[in-house]
Amino acid sequence: MDISFSAQETRFREECRDWLHANVPCEKRPLDPTEALPFDKAWQRTLYDAGWAGISWPKEYGGRGLSLIQQIIWLEEYARAGAPWIGANFVGINHGGPTLIMNASEAQKSFHLPRILRAEEIWCQGFSEPGAGSDLAGIKTRGRVEGDELVINGSKIWTSFAHVADWQELVLRTEEGSLRHKGLSWVICDMHAPGITIRPIRLMSGEAELAQVFYDDVRIPLANVVGGLGEGWRVAMSTLSFERGTGFIADQVKHAITVARLIDDASASGAIKNDQIAGELAQLRAEVAALRAMTYRNISEVVRTGQPGPEASVIRLFTSELGQRIDRLAVRLKGQDILDFSYGDRDDTQEYLRHYAATIAGGSAQIQRDIIGERMLGLPKSR
Amino acid sequence: MDLAPNTDQIAYQTATADWCRDNMPLDQARNRPAGLWKQLAEMGWTGMTSPEMGLNHATEALVFAELGRFLAPVGLLSTAVAARWVGGDAKVALAIPGDGKLRLFDAEDTTAALGIWNGKAGLTMVPGTIEPRPGLDLSASLSVIDLDLIPNPLEDPRAVHHLQLLAAAYAVGCADAARDMAASYAKIREQFERPIGWFQAIKHICADTAVRCAVARSQLYYAACALDAGDAEAAFHIAAAKRLADQAALENARANIQVHGGIGMTDDATPHLCLKRAHLLSFIAPVTTADLLKG
Ligand SMILES: Cc1cc2nc3c(=O)[nH]c(=O)nc-3n(C[C@H](O)[C@H](O)[C@H](O)COP(=O)(O)OP(=O)(O)OC[C@H]3O[C@@H](n4cnc5c(N)ncnc54)[C@H](O)[C@@H]3O)c2cc1C
Repeated sequence: MDISFSAQETRFREECRDWLHANVPCEKRPLDPTEALPFDKAWQRTLYDAGWAGISWPKEYGGRGLSLIQQIIWLEEYARAGAPWIGANFVGINHGGPTLIMNASEAQKSFHLPRILRAEEIWCQGFSEPGAGSDLAGIKTRGRVEGDELVINGSKIWTSFAHVADWQELVLRTEEGSLRHKGLSWVICDMHAPGITIRPIRLMSGEAELAQVFYDDVRIPLANVVGGLGEGWRVAMSTLSFERGTGFIADQVKHAITVARLIDDASASGAIKNDQIAGELAQLRAEVAALRAMTYRNISEVVRTGQPGPEASVIRLFTSELGQRIDRLAVRLKGQDILDFSYGDRDDTQEYLRHYAATIAGGSAQIQRDIIGERMLGLPKSR
Repeated sequence: MDLAPNTDQIAYQTATADWCRDNMPLDQARNRPAGLWKQLAEMGWTGMTSPEMGLNHATEALVFAELGRFLAPVGLLSTAVAARWVGGDAKVALAIPGDGKLRLFDAEDTTAALGIWNGKAGLTMVPGTIEPRPGLDLSASLSVIDLDLIPNPLEDPRAVHHLQLLAAAYAVGCADAARDMAASYAKIREQFERPIGWFQAIKHICADTAVRCAVARSQLYYAACALDAGDAEAAFHIAAAKRLADQAALENARANIQVHGGIGMTDDATPHLCLKRAHLLSFIAPVTTADLLKG
């Protein structure tokens, strides 16, 4: 065991740092969703032109093909440089694209992958429904096969970036009367197709980057099914497993930066003289260090065995809850100032409100604890 | 960068765990045989940290976490630190000074004790008049002396970090033991016609024990490597490891008792052994808020 990076890795870190230093835009990513889109596209294009798009994607699909250690280094430097969140490109780069790489036909891949990398296509993810959240297998949105088309009816909800997306990774029930994980398909849905209605949803933090989507006899070519009709659950799960590993490094670096800032602020304001505040800051600093150690350990395990250990779900749960503890202390230190928050502000209060999603979206804290109890400790399945 | 044990380190870990399981099981922690220390010395654990052995701190941390899992004697901690910074493999008792008193643990058959006084590691003489008796942690004998003896300080400031690191490793092992005990019981104990581990209220308590173990163990590895590398922030990382490991040991021990229900708080059952060990470990080279905010 060893925490030092090789000379080659250190050179790579410098390369990342230099490029980011010269290229990270000074202005922040706009909060307004229509202003954010051109910003996201321009930033993704800048990354692409410099060869930094799709760092984890294989080279044959236009990605950078970085090793896991290099991915950590890039993601750490990216977050330290304060580079913007990839925003509307998130789903294409981190979910849709990787799923296509693993499951799609050559025609599907060669059409979509380059466009995703160049931000010429924006993707969204249509998994959750009003009646199917944690219990994703409860999906009811239907796709009826008619000739060489699927005719889609139903509704998806919490679809991030639906209002700006060109394509959607859509999971629906293509076999009538099928139950649970069976009879589902993963399809590439054209978000500009007739019959799609998008109703934006505003979050309590003021952002309006997600929506409910309604499908009324939407026609999609059968050729857009990925991985075969009825294979939707398997294809969808390959996306979810892709998320683990390096998915939380940016959050972790941000947590570390926030805690360091809170310690500086509390020292400057004198708040740190309060033993309880000092104790909580000290605890958070220790936990942030452990989070990095846990990620390094998990990635070392992947490098050694090719498989993320079962502790990946621990990282996910711990990252999300630690982030929320940090946010709570940040707003406590602000005192009455949080009362001045209004939609459009971007400060600790906004972060605090928006990070409630961390223990809900993409597998709630409760579901994560079930997974840890069942897969790591071997307790009986309760679902 | 590599925070996963290599083949040699895994071999050390496995050999330690195997020996402990056969010769020093956790459920016997309260009545260890008189010859145990001799056996430990023969197996090399009393001298493994001496400089001649050339083991790095990362490997030590792995081995001590296994020893800690079986509630090995706390005297091994002080002995190991003395072996590294003074030399030899002679038994050295563990000293915890406080409030004008000195508490000595595992002080039979030795004349020296190692502890931390005002942030510095030191050695002191064990008076010949002590009468060891059981204390809270039933695995260690306790002798309370009503005055604080003057220690001979150890020169190298890393001795304190070393004790902190090894005690953290013991706590990680103790936390693991409580986690596994709770999960095993949750699988076999049935109420309402199903294993209690089926109920989320119990399952999630168990899941949290696993989270605490993963967090503390990861930081332990990082801290050990930082000490090996002479990293500028090693002191902080070790303090963080100690704090998180102490919390994991104590909170997992509490969780384990709750998962066991009534049997969990009996003298006959084993869960209280982890709880009491966790309380003792928390007083060995304790971490302050300032340690965690420094640097
Ligand atoms: C900001 C944000 C962005 C999102 N983006 C997307 C997106 O782009 N695409 C997409 O498809 N989805 C998206 N989601 C949806 C997200 O994945 C779901 O919100 C999540 O799966 C939880 O489902 P739910 O909201 O229906 O809550 P529910 O499943 O109804 O859960 C409600 C509560 O019950 C608990 N609960 C549920 N089942 C159990 C159980 N078995 N045991 C114990 N407790 C249980 C949950 O933990 C939660 O506390 C997003 C959500 C948010 C908040």
